[in-house]
Amino acid sequence: MYLGLKEMWHEKLRYTLLSGVLLLIALVVFMLAGLANGLSAGNRQAVDVWQARSVYLNKDANQTLTASQLKLTDRDKLSNQPVAPISVLSGTLRTNKNGLKTSISALATSRNSFLMPKVVSGHAINGKHQLLISAALKEKGFHIGQKVRVGTTNRTVKIVGTYAANTYMIAPTAYTDTSTLNWLKSLPITTGKRQSVNGFVTKQATFKNKHHGGLEKLSIATFINKIPGYSAEQLTLNTMIYFLFVIALAIIGIFMFVLTLQKKPLFGVLKVQGIGTNHILAALLTQSIAMALIGIILGLGITVGLAQIMPAGLPFAINWPQFGLYGLALLLASVIGALLSWRTVAKIDPVVALG
Amino acid sequence: MTTPVLALKQITKQFGQGHTAVQALKQADFEIYPGQFVAIIGPSGSGKSTFLTIAAGLQTPTSGQVLLNGTELDSQSEKSRLAFRFNEIGFILQSSNLIPFLTVTEQLKLVDKLAHRSFQKERATTLLSQLALTEVATSYPNELSGGERQRVAIVRALYNDPSVILADEPTASLDTPRSIDVVKRLADEAHQHQKAIVMVTHDQRLIGDCDVVYQIEDGIMTRQK
Ligand SMILES: Nc1ncnc2c1ncn2[C@@H]1O[C@H](COP(=O)(O)OP(=O)(O)OP(=O)(O)O)[C@@H](O)[C@H]1O
Ligand SMILES: [Mg+2]
Repeated sequence: MYLGLKEMWHEKLRYTLLSGVLLLIALVVFMLAGLANGLSAGNRQAVDVWQARSVYLNKDANQTLTASQLKLTDRDKLSNQPVAPISVLSGTLRTNKNGLKTSISALATSRNSFLMPKVVSGHAINGKHQLLISAALKEKGFHIGQKVRVGTTNRTVKIVGTYAANTYMIAPTAYTDTSTLNWLKSLPITTGKRQSVNGFVTKQATFKNKHHGGLEKLSIATFINKIPGYSAEQLTLNTMIYFLFVIALAIIGIFMFVLTLQKKPLFGVLKVQGIGTNHILAALLTQSIAMALIGIILGLGITVGLAQIMPAGLPFAINWPQFGLYGLALLLASVIGALLSWRTVAKIDPVVALG
Repeated sequence: MTTPVLALKQITKQFGQGHTAVQALKQADFEIYPGQFVAIIGPSGSGKSTFLTIAAGLQTPTSGQVLLNGTELDSQSEKSRLAFRFNEIGFILQSSNLIPFLTVTEQLKLVDKLAHRSFQKERATTLLSQLALTEVATSYPNELSGGERQRVAIVRALYNDPSVILADEPTASLDTPRSIDVVKRLADEAHQHQKAIVMVTHDQRLIGDCDVVYQIEDGIMTRQK
């Protein structure tokens, strides 16, 4: 401890520079993690709000909601638990004269279903051609009472309420009932049990019997992973993060090794005085842990600061347990990096100090 | 006197093999008791430093025995040799053996840290003033003159209160009056505090205070006094 810290204090420039390098690595790790979280949330937030356990889709739909075509009557194949139909339409939300225009994920379920979001202003859907919008859309200028178009038709619906902001497939959501969405999609059947839906969401329902009738059950986790682009994005960003751990390890390892080679005569002197390999290694470890801590803490601070001034459109979210874990991983990488010099330190012969 | 603190029996040290082999020490015998101040003199390359490093357990002899307080050093584990070196031997190297990033006082503090005890401020102050180092107590080694560095190394060796001090030309970078001072200081330490002190030197004028003098020539060690 004493030796390691004293040396850092005396060689401030050298150790500040390396802390700086670690700071940059930590910063990139945290920024990538924040972006990965932001993208992840942007894709799945609406699904998380459902608090559901599983989703039933058409078994030929390759596990994606938009590709799944079912009828409301398919619900009868599931046991009698809370089950809600779900339909989706990705499109633009625009005012009559195209004054406001934005991409949304329009979701539809039955009017009294557990998937319907909690209305915070206005009222729940109680009639035909009504729409609830996410608070994020309200901030863009859409408001209760407004007539808006969804998708490419000229059919208009009326905004009747808003709910806490959430997103699906990186677009703010809007909710309506199944019939209205089918009407907006210009489908032939917009009433009754033979209407189209994309799937069924449930908290605990199971298949009634062995004949699944063309349905496939997906856990919510699988369902989220199959959101188009979701797993590819997460995999890319996470791979970059894992590589950065290796790079941090390599940088600390190489730097500590070069310093160890440089300091061989000094370590020889220490050994002559009875200060052994373990003490020298403890000093190296102290130094790499101190540098890693400085880099990680500053990197975290800068990340949090940047998150405050980031444009709202940038998907970015801080997940503290995860950031803590990544911080620990960086710390571990620097400990391992320092330990790479162990053999070299152990092999230093005190006699070299005697010249 | 009972057992010697340090005894070397029939020590031979050979470097290299065949034609290029150098016999740095040839069947050297040596012993020192507590309270003795022993000098080893000899020309350059005669094997003086080799002798000291073997005595300290830093190198193993090709043949022969090193006995510390009657136990053989070779039979000990590396770990206990290290502990022994730290606790019982003060080594003053031929070239400076200070840690570049510690001030003079911190060099001493480190000794206490490693021994798991608190800083002995009084002892440090006394030793530093005895070797005229009070002024430079907070300086780093690179801010000291060669002589000052050598004296700090001596203070450092004495500070841990070892039973044996091995000094390889401790006066090499000192002027004559200072050299005489330092040797006096080592002699006092031996005679008043029952330390066993071995000093390597090639300066005949400095051996007046020594109880025993060994001469090395071409690896052959002979007792002179
Ligand atoms: N590691 C080594 N490898 C090979 N030869 C060595 C080694 N160390 C010492 N020698 C040789 O052993 C002999 C004795 O060396 P040593 O360093 O003991 O001399 P010294 O008496 O201390 O000389 P000086 O007064 O110049 O310090 C020399 O011939 C030297 O070249
Ligand atoms: Mg020598």
